[in-house]
Amino acid sequence: MSAAPAFFDEAVDEQGRIRDHYRPVQEWFDRLSLEQVKALEGQRNESFRRQGITFTVYGGDEGTERTWPMDLFPRVIDAEEWAMLERGLIQRVTALNRFLDDIYTGEQAILHDDIVPRRLITSCTGFEREAMNVAVPLGARCLVAGIDLVRGADGTYRVLEDNLRNPSGISYVIENRAAMTKLLPAAFADLAVRSVDHYGRSLLRALRSIAPPACGDDPTVAVLTPGIFNSAYFEHAFLARSMGVELVEGRDLVVDDHVVAMRTTRGLERVDVIYRRIDDHFLDPVVFNAQSTLGVPGLMAAARAGTVSIANSVGNGVGDDKAVYAYVPDMIRYYLGEEPIIPNADTYLLWEEDQRAEVLERLDQLVVKPVAESGGYGIVIGPTATDAELAEARDKIMQDPRNWIAQEVVNLSRLPAWAGDAFAPRHIDLRPFVLCGEQVEVIPGGLTRVALREGSLIVNSSQGGGSKDTWVLGRPDQPKPEANR
Amino acid sequence: MRLDICYRTAFAFDAPVRESQNELRACPVTDGRQQLLSYRVTVEPSARMLSFTDYWGTRVDHFGVAESHTCLEVIAEASVETQDPPAHSAAPPMESLGDPAFLNEHDEFLKPTRHTDWDQAMAGQARTLAEANGSDVVGAVTELNEFVGTRLAYETGATEIGEPITEVLAKGVGVCQDYAHLAVALCRSIGIPARYVSGFLFSSNERTGSIDGDLVRVQTHAWLEAAVPSLGWIPLDPTNRLAVGRQHVKIGHGRDYDDVPPLRGVYSGPGTPEVDASVEIRRMDPGRQPSTLLRPSLLAAVKAPRTREQQQQQQQQ
Repeated sequence: MSAAPAFFDEAVDEQGRIRDHYRPVQEWFDRLSLEQVKALEGQRNESFRRQGITFTVYGGDEGTERTWPMDLFPRVIDAEEWAMLERGLIQRVTALNRFLDDIYTGEQAILHDDIVPRRLITSCTGFEREAMNVAVPLGARCLVAGIDLVRGADGTYRVLEDNLRNPSGISYVIENRAAMTKLLPAAFADLAVRSVDHYGRSLLRALRSIAPPACGDDPTVAVLTPGIFNSAYFEHAFLARSMGVELVEGRDLVVDDHVVAMRTTRGLERVDVIYRRIDDHFLDPVVFNAQSTLGVPGLMAAARAGTVSIANSVGNGVGDDKAVYAYVPDMIRYYLGEEPIIPNADTYLLWEEDQRAEVLERLDQLVVKPVAESGGYGIVIGPTATDAELAEARDKIMQDPRNWIAQEVVNLSRLPAWAGDAFAPRHIDLRPFVLCGEQVEVIPGGLTRVALREGSLIVNSSQGGGSKDTWVLGRPDQPKPEANR
Repeated sequence: MRLDICYRTAFAFDAPVRESQNELRACPVTDGRQQLLSYRVTVEPSARMLSFTDYWGTRVDHFGVAESHTCLEVIAEASVETQDPPAHSAAPPMESLGDPAFLNEHDEFLKPTRHTDWDQAMAGQARTLAEANGSDVVGAVTELNEFVGTRLAYETGATEIGEPITEVLAKGVGVCQDYAHLAVALCRSIGIPARYVSGFLFSSNERTGSIDGDLVRVQTHAWLEAAVPSLGWIPLDPTNRLAVGRQHVKIGHGRDYDDVPPLRGVYSGPGTPEVDASVEIRRMDPGRQPSTLLRPSLLAAVKAPRTREQQQQQQQQ
């Protein structure tokens, strides 16, 4: 075994002093008694249960529906740090949009110029040939992006992965904030915490901005959900409600003469923009999975005809494939002529022979991930894996090296979380949400996920993780910018 | 050779259906070997067409019929001028297939797909055949093409689209799609990029390629193209082992059948269809004006595959 890993503490500096931006929060929690914390926990659970704020775990033995685990101790990001992250996220998502547009409707210049190898794209399961030459207004292909950030031992923020298809979690960001303002109103005192509850308005504005130009000033937007059995159904309903638009399933939509309409009590009503939360392969049985009952026959042809816009765009999986991820810093340099503001985590491409050889020798020290999965599924963490698990990972890598990447273990930063009888350090990450329309906008903060088990580095809610409200502090000279709208 | 082609597929449903959405890929491509002179698609009940070129370069005509209907007829008429391909004399060695730039360019034509999923035994067989013929790529693909043509017996109805290629080889029978998929799989198994070609063959007999008169009644045909370093894509027809030339009219290509199906679509409603599919090809005098409307003939009805959810995927034979 290697030496005990060092961690970056979010709230405490190297000398053991509370960092400035955490001082008010820390002092507020220091004054709470055990009974007070337990009472708050009870109120929180009751509130989430009553509102039905739950999530579903696939493949679990126990009941699959669980109430949302939000830890009471918030994450705090100061104004200066957030300004850097905001710039870095805008830069990254801008480059990814340019890349996707280049691949699907552009000249594929980045392939011709040999910055990204062509075969990396043609071998990508998320590369949708059916989306070829389907234009997207404003090139806003990642209309909603969720970029996962982590901080290693040195405190540097790094991008761990991009989620450009159907990133979920924003509803929990908003619900966490709503719960916190109810439970701990006093903790916000004297802090200019930037609000997140304008998300619905911002999302609607972004969606309307990509409406087909011919549809006029008042485009109709709908949220397309797979239905109530989907793990994120709560979020789909939440988003439709917060935007004031219809929540529809595939069978509610019909395509006639390459125009999409929804069946309503008032008859058919034309739809101009679809915020879909259905995977590409189920979206249209004419061109994708013919057995899909979730999709809308003819939808892709309508999108190609330009009568409807689909968000996120079909085929975005080619941008968040984990092997393509390794090239995002090069994309930023290529399309924007800038150096990446937020670096990648150190990543090895296993189809490159020399990198693979090195990885196979150090398999027990690295994290191995399948390139097209999300939610933590299929990941092998070398230091904690059994010999059998490592052998299996080795076999899988040898069988299909294109399907795997390896990364150095990132010793996620720590922040206090309630551990039953006291606050104790637990590992966290951060998923900020980025919206692209006329402009690129980052929602202040994002979803902080926390590994609730001691020592665990797995923050996925599907794997026993929880979440924290994330407070971005306004600059002293411009308090609460969103509140002024 | 000037060829006028009339492709027709008609569905007669035993109960009304609606919201039918379809994609037609029946338009001859213009490339170095053939030139499209005219093309027209007619659908009954009438429908608005969305025509576009897909990722593979194939023209697609998309149309939907929203209202209730019991018949759907699709007619595509094309006039095309074809030529024999230029002869090639180069014989690049098998080692040239390993060139990194060549691999980067052809990666998607080297992988197994649903219809071209080979096993170890097939790869071994392909390797032996290629080696017996020396060490050049053209010799290897010619040998594999010969092998498929002699190994399979032509028999309609013996296989279904979607049958694993290992099964086809074990049974030893198939139709042109099976011949093409098997040859594609064998090529890929030894590192030769290969792609499936959908098209028409002007011939009275698909298996021999013989021509009897100026008018033939056929079905859509399939063959393959193999990528040879420094030569490009060379076409081969394992069904009849004819040199691919003036008789062959290419619609398009892809990794396998699923990338270039002549007609695919879905509909809703309780009806199940009787499918009537035919292709007529007429050899024309050079210089004659295109767009002579041919009389489609009625061939024996072909049952389309069914699914319980009435989400039928219409497929051509």
